[in-house]
Amino acid sequence: MESASLAAGAHPDDHHHGPPEAHESSKIDRQTLGILLFIITETMLFGAFFASYFFLRVVANEGPWPPEPFELPVLIAGFNTAILVSSSFTMHWALESIRAGNHRGLKMGLVSTFLLGATFLFIQLNEYVHIGFSARDDAFGSIFYGLTGLHGAHVFIGLTLLAIASVRAFRGHYGPAAKDHLGVEVPGIYWHFVDVMWIIVFVTVYIL
Amino acid sequence: MQGLPILRLAAATIVLTVITSVLMLIPDWNGEQASTAAADIDRLLDVAIVLSSFVFWIVMVPLFYAIYRWRAKPGDEGDGEPIHGNTRLEIIWTVIPTVIVLGLAGYSWVVLDDIEASEPGAIPITVTGQQFAWSFTYPEQNVQADELHVVEDRQVEVTMRALDVLHSFWVPEWRIKRDAVPGAPGASIDDDFVVTPDRAGEFSLVCTELCGLGHTTMRAPVVVHETRAEFDRWISEQDPIPSDQPEPAGSPAS
Amino acid sequence: MTSALTSPGWWRGLFYFLIGAGFGFGLVIALRAISGLDLYQTEPTGYPHIVVPAITGPLGFLIGIGCFDYWFRWCAGAPTIPDDHADHGAKTWKDYFKVNTDHKVIGIQYIVTTFFFFFAGGFLAMLMRAELAQPGTQIVDPGVFNGLFSTHAALMIFVFVIPVFAGIANYVLPLMIGAPDMAFPRLNALSFWMLPIAGALFLASYFVPGGAFDAGWTGYAPLSTGAPLGQSFFNLGVQFAGASSVATALNFLVTIITMRAPGMTIWRMPLLVWANLSTSLLVVAATPFIAGVQFMVLFDRVLHTNFFQAAFGGDVISYQHIFWFYSHPAVYIMMLPGFGIISEVISTHARKPIFGYRLMALALLGIVILSYTVWAHHMFVAGMFEWLRVPMMITTLLIAVPTGIKIFSWLGTLFEAKIHLKSTAMLFSLAFIVTFTIGGISGVMLGMIPIDIHVSDTYFVVAHIHFVLFGGSVFTIFAGIYHWFPKMTGRMYDERLGRIHFWGTLVGTWGTFVPMHWIGMEGMPRRVADYAAEFGNWNLMITVSAFILGAVQLVFLYNMIVSWRYGPKAGPNPWRAKTIEWQVSSPPPIFNFDEIPRVVGGPYEFGVPGARHAIMAGEEAEVKRPEPSRAGIGAPS
Ligand code: HEA
Ligand code: HEA
Ligand code: CUA
Ligand SMILES: [Cu+2]
Repeated sequence: MESASLAAGAHPDDHHHGPPEAHESSKIDRQTLGILLFIITETMLFGAFFASYFFLRVVANEGPWPPEPFELPVLIAGFNTAILVSSSFTMHWALESIRAGNHRGLKMGLVSTFLLGATFLFIQLNEYVHIGFSARDDAFGSIFYGLTGLHGAHVFIGLTLLAIASVRAFRGHYGPAAKDHLGVEVPGIYWHFVDVMWIIVFVTVYIL
Repeated sequence: MQGLPILRLAAATIVLTVITSVLMLIPDWNGEQASTAAADIDRLLDVAIVLSSFVFWIVMVPLFYAIYRWRAKPGDEGDGEPIHGNTRLEIIWTVIPTVIVLGLAGYSWVVLDDIEASEPGAIPITVTGQQFAWSFTYPEQNVQADELHVVEDRQVEVTMRALDVLHSFWVPEWRIKRDAVPGAPGASIDDDFVVTPDRAGEFSLVCTELCGLGHTTMRAPVVVHETRAEFDRWISEQDPIPSDQPEPAGSPAS
Repeated sequence: MTSALTSPGWWRGLFYFLIGAGFGFGLVIALRAISGLDLYQTEPTGYPHIVVPAITGPLGFLIGIGCFDYWFRWCAGAPTIPDDHADHGAKTWKDYFKVNTDHKVIGIQYIVTTFFFFFAGGFLAMLMRAELAQPGTQIVDPGVFNGLFSTHAALMIFVFVIPVFAGIANYVLPLMIGAPDMAFPRLNALSFWMLPIAGALFLASYFVPGGAFDAGWTGYAPLSTGAPLGQSFFNLGVQFAGASSVATALNFLVTIITMRAPGMTIWRMPLLVWANLSTSLLVVAATPFIAGVQFMVLFDRVLHTNFFQAAFGGDVISYQHIFWFYSHPAVYIMMLPGFGIISEVISTHARKPIFGYRLMALALLGIVILSYTVWAHHMFVAGMFEWLRVPMMITTLLIAVPTGIKIFSWLGTLFEAKIHLKSTAMLFSLAFIVTFTIGGISGVMLGMIPIDIHVSDTYFVVAHIHFVLFGGSVFTIFAGIYHWFPKMTGRMYDERLGRIHFWGTLVGTWGTFVPMHWIGMEGMPRRVADYAAEFGNWNLMITVSAFILGAVQLVFLYNMIVSWRYGPKAGPNPWRAKTIEWQVSSPPPIFNFDEIPRVVGGPYEFGVPGARHAIMAGEEAEVKRPEPSRAGIGAPS
């Protein structure tokens, strides 16, 4: 069925040269732009849950919020917030290290970020166990678990990215040139996003 | 753009608009009118039809004229005139549609306010949808029924309730439609509307929100009485609201 | 056999699918055993032991077929296999059934897959029309009928119209902007492979207990949260389709922003590129909303949360707000790429520059912005906030303005032109202007609240939907397919069959969807399997026209298949177009270009003496020539 071999022909000698380099029509590189756009998408996903939160809290609910028997452990969550926020700094440290060619700092930074993130997730899960209500208890329970769970899932994704970056760091993959540590920078951007998003979730759900 | 018969094209547009408008205004698109809202809405529709005919022909006349006039001769491989735009034209076709749609919006708003204006002395009725039947409660008369009865020229104030999923209230002859939303926590859901039937007779209430297997057949009879006396007689024949029934006015999510 | 299970491909795909599904199943059963629950939960909304495998199975399939092989090695820091080149191009038809990173192959994969779903969805429409031919019950009972229109619309929207545009653009867009491929070729492959999964999930719902999902394509809560198992397949299918569309949109945005050929400033981009840029902006920012809301429905169903359960403090109407905040922009996701196609086709076949090019591009952006501000026009009678209605009516009606700019600019393009009607693509484009204008006008009527109060949820809306989606989107899809068919296959299609298809489709569309306006206004609600006898004759006429419409689509199918194999050779540029994709051979060389072309002017400079859009590699010498000859531009050497 020769007619189906669409892209074949035309270039009998195509096996010994690859595609031409694409022209770079923008200063920003593809991976960074990609992750930034992805973050827009992610923000909107949170937006859907925040919209739901708004409807449940402001529109459908008349009494106090959180509604009667529910109580939130603001203090523990605040402590947890501090942990996550500090992980943004270790992440920054990792990135600065590799920019300076300091591989040790990179590894330390990544690993400590990972550990802080994991601690956050652990405390969060622990909070779920002890909080005394489930996602089935009223719309409040649903949206509480909806928002924090969605965020937890993002921490998990972030941790996976960090794990990958760490494995590659320990295998000596990165270098100081901008092109050579995109694999740290891109997960880093994502991690900062997860962090900022937590602050918004925390303030909305626990404080306001 | 020399030799463009602008006047003739404009004339054609106007003539075609007039012809289509007249033709399109003859049928009663929405069918019988049986409420004060119906006349208002149908008049709005008529205005929309006339303007739409105009919009339609102002697109079609140039389109067909261009195809007729500038169709390439067989074998002509040349290019058209390299015209890149014309700021004046572009402004015109931005401004005119803006004016038209803002006009339509304004008029719609007026009509909306009109059909939603409440009159004193309206009869309150609670309409409850449930898979797959309607029920009607008359709180003032303390009566419940499975037919909707109202009085000619007397406004009714309907409150929508749903017990399971969404349903929707529609009497085509009244031109009025409103969803019934389960839960109805009063403040957050706009579950009230008014309608003033102005023609006695029998109609049909249609459920227009997909509600499951029986959606197709979820209907209820609607009777508009000529006089209040007839209506009261009917009321007196109905069962009182059973007292053990959960308050139909839907106590907000408990 | 073992090698078949270890190397990427269908066998391994199937194998991993089973592993994934088995894992999901085991996980659910194990968790339930630990928690001391019944192992199998078979309430209609439950079935976690089927819902979870319906997620893990497809993921296993994606891994098995090979979407992640490269990434896995990369993640582990292992040496990657540089598959970029080996995986490029398709040498036999079998290569279309493999994971491939070549945007041209992916484009074809997309188009063929989505058309499969078009025919499937159309087939369901035919069943629907057979049932509606006369009042009373013809072939299916009301329950099945609800499943028919729900799956019909889900297939048409989520796995036909939205992705087919991604397919067409996948093929032509990198060529148009002078890029060797998309920015993220492997992500591109993944986007594609999620699509058949989405379609398969929709169709699979026919085979699960309780039957196909039947809460409409809108899946309003709480009908959907209480519906049988099939609804979960809708929730999941939408996730896969949505993830696919977001990934593609990211890819398009990055490609367009970072990979344009030198000289291609944003004001020299062809309008198709502009259209996809705008669409991708819509997808990136709106699609997560439907993902979110379908997750909530799934949670309400399977985990018994209370997002939409009024009795437990949930908010029923919030479903509609979140759903429409995506689904209104979605209707422009289904239309803007079509606008792009129409611009390309009309300018080429009328041999004139696009009239008011910049305003055309700005109008697209205007529609993008406005479309986020009108969602509640689907809820005028839903009992939502009263105060939101009038502002939303005004924004809704204002969308007519940028859309009108597009229509009038196409007319401007046709003035003083040399209009060639021999191509079916051009016929569909001109017919699109007529049909879409009508669909848009009925949209404006729907936007006027008092009129909408009467006709909402009637056949008037069904008429509007199909005038804009069939007479709009699908017409542009046909135009695009005919226009780029020679480019994609290197062969010409049969214009005579194309004409039969065109006229049949035009007459069929009008015959089917015009009378729907009338019966809608007169009182026939939508989504009913049975109706009052007075509508019988009109419905019979609609059904007959719909069958004609269905039949001529078979002519199209035949034309495409036969011409792909046996059509006459097309040459690089049968339409004498200016944009870059036409300056390479048909089909284009495996890596698109040897050297990236240089862009020196606008894309539609027809009739401007000596004007060029792009200079291809090795062409420098010819630049001086005032009228570029066709032959010289062909395949770069
Ligand atoms: C491709 C898809 C598509 C497109 C492009 C549109 C375009 C528009 N739609 Fe449509 N619509 C749908 C797909 C689409 N729609 C679907 C699928 C539904 C139903 C969903 C469901 O419930 O299942 C729906 C439902 C729908 C409703 C809700 C009806 C109801 O359920 O009660 C409304 C109400 O406002 C509406 C309005 C509009 C408007 C104002 C436009 C405008 O964008 C149209 C603008 C275009 C023009 C106006 C024509 C060209 C302009 C000119 C020639 C300029 C001059 C014009 C004037 C001055 C008027 N649409
Ligand atoms: C892009 C979107 C799209 C497209 C292309 C179509 C195409 C068609 N649609 Fe659909 N439709 C919708 C989107 C679309 N529709 C939506 C969103 C709804 C609302 C659903 C809801 O309420 O939730 C809807 C609802 C809808 C209804 C209303 C159902 C109801 O409310 O009760 C009807 C009724 O006639 C209908 C008919 C048709 C017909 C006749 C076609 C024809 O154009 C189809 C033409 C036929 C073919 C293309 C197929 C040809 C195939 C064969 C002849 C068989 C050969 C088979 C094989 C080769 C396997 N559609
Ligand atoms: Cu009740 Cu439809
Ligand atoms: Cu809309």
